[in-house]
Amino acid sequence: MVSSNKDPRRITALLAALVALAALALGLAACGGGSSINGGDTESEEVKLEKKASGDVTISNWPLYIDKQTVPDFEKETGVSVKYIEDVNANEEFFAKMDPLLKQGESGGRSLFVVTDWMANKMHELGYLQNFDKSALPNFEQNLVSNLREPNYDPKREFSAPWQSGMTGIIVRKDLAPDVKSICDLFDPKYKGKVEMLNELRDTVPLVMKCLGIDPSEASEDDWMKAIDKIQTAAGSGQIRRFTGNDYGADLTSGNAVAVIGWSGDAVQLQADNPNIEWRMPTEGCILWSDNMVIPVGAPNPTAAEDFINYVYDPKNQAQIEAYVNYVSPVENVKPILLKEEPEVAKNQLIFPSKSFTKNCTIQPSPTGEEEQNLNRAFNAVLNG
Amino acid sequence: MRRRVAPYFLLGPGAAWLLLFFVVPLYYLGELSLNSGVFGSYEFSWHWANYSDALRLYDSQFVRSFLYAGLATLFALLLAYPLAYTIAFKAGRWRNLLLFAVVAPFFTTYLIRTLAWETILSDQSPVVSVLDAVGLAPEGHVLATAGAVIAGLTYNFLPFMVLPIYASLERLDVRLIEAGKDLYASATQTFFRVTLPLSAPGVVAGTLLTFIPASGDYVNAQFLGSANNQMIGNVIQSLYLKQSDYPAAAALSFVLMALILILVIVYIRFAGSEALMGEEAVG
Repeated sequence: MVSSNKDPRRITALLAALVALAALALGLAACGGGSSINGGDTESEEVKLEKKASGDVTISNWPLYIDKQTVPDFEKETGVSVKYIEDVNANEEFFAKMDPLLKQGESGGRSLFVVTDWMANKMHELGYLQNFDKSALPNFEQNLVSNLREPNYDPKREFSAPWQSGMTGIIVRKDLAPDVKSICDLFDPKYKGKVEMLNELRDTVPLVMKCLGIDPSEASEDDWMKAIDKIQTAAGSGQIRRFTGNDYGADLTSGNAVAVIGWSGDAVQLQADNPNIEWRMPTEGCILWSDNMVIPVGAPNPTAAEDFINYVYDPKNQAQIEAYVNYVSPVENVKPILLKEEPEVAKNQLIFPSKSFTKNCTIQPSPTGEEEQNLNRAFNAVLNG
Repeated sequence: MRRRVAPYFLLGPGAAWLLLFFVVPLYYLGELSLNSGVFGSYEFSWHWANYSDALRLYDSQFVRSFLYAGLATLFALLLAYPLAYTIAFKAGRWRNLLLFAVVAPFFTTYLIRTLAWETILSDQSPVVSVLDAVGLAPEGHVLATAGAVIAGLTYNFLPFMVLPIYASLERLDVRLIEAGKDLYASATQTFFRVTLPLSAPGVVAGTLLTFIPASGDYVNAQFLGSANNQMIGNVIQSLYLKQSDYPAAAALSFVLMALILILVIVYIRFAGSEALMGEEAVG
């Protein structure tokens, strides 16, 4: 990654991307404002594809979300040169960075990036994303798992293609908190000062709703507030030690925390490093979410971007990513391949969860507009005491 | 003619730098702080309520920030003054080595130094069991308490306190101290009537250099504190990056700047501007 700055091929690539961007900008100007990029209507334009992908493509993804071999393999198979950057650390942060560009119909040279469901939804509502041309995505059409085919925000999967899915639940130190089995158990005074929760509104609050017997998928603003109140009381009393991003891993390892709300993929990794750490599917169920590949407005070389989507939806290629990543694959028929190559991965319920394992789980709710703002403010007040 | 142009010419680069990277961003921040609407469609509308909301909703975090920063400044001063005094007057040939030791932590980044404290104060660490044994860890843990945050702030800003005090002590004319002794003042009297007043510029500079950044700090509270120890910097950071509530975050930043400015002005009035400016202002 570092040396790429000096690689003359990359510089040429960058120049080419800039020229392409300039050409695109000119093209847009020539259209005389015909395209409604920030018009508020959610009718996105479909990408314009060329016959065969070539040239360069820039992909933004989260850190450690792909193995080392997939990108070179893709480059070899297609002849496309990929600039793969890991600059998505948090949805909100990434949005803050991209918003001024996307508002002007530019993507900062990116042809494809990966964001969580609710952020994909928000970007789509703002007119920041392009629709796929499905004719170039036969693997995606064929191999997307059935339970992810019709999400609320994109029922026909027109602009979002899941990269990986995951579960939010409980991770414990089984030597220090053996009897934590439910979200409600996290409020047991026995574990005062040893419990941590995620600083994510859409992960932590819906799980606490489940403890209160509220179905997050049908929750009203009042229901959200009830759960936020419960969290506030627990934070105020010192029951909750602190709210974290994925740095809860270090606290579990050191024993500073004994039970946390965390993500399934982290649990796989933490369990492998420390046999005392264990995922607990909450008795109330988990929260299910996906991170999605999307093509932003102004994306150079969408042909190569779609080729990449199609490539990772080939079960063979997906298996290679899956063996490394530890989250839940959105692609069918990966398990049989891994059963042969990496049976331990294939048998892991956190990577290939069975229907019964996730039976109580809820798809991550994503409040919008004024409700979202009110909830954000209330939750922020809890996070900052 | 040339004499009149030269100062402006010399001011030029610095002024341009400040204009580009301070005034311009400040203007945009000010504009943002008066936006209203919801995430994704903020619009400029002279929405002054952002300011009253900022004060109303986050008053406790403001109080907490200034309290933590104030305590950290006090502790840093209590640690730094004897240290600087020793280095300036008693260290002899060890002086440069000791100065280097004060600055050495800066060779590691701020974040890493704070994370190191997270390890040192972790619940199972020997430090914490000792503190627990002598009753200094009533909650059974030191991390995620106000004490840990204040200790972290004190540690991180200590060199900013030591160096200005050292600088003012080092150039102090020792003949004045000898004169004090000649006039039958005790060591204590000499210290309080000669040494301390003459080093006041260093103390004032050190306290400002510690208090101002400590008030806006968020790293220590994030890693060493609990939800109940978050400072105003944490609120701004989380409003901006997690809640995407840019107008509220911008308004809060302005309120913080204004409050710090007021506190500093009051402090300088109280401490006397002569002390800050040194002999130049007096003479």
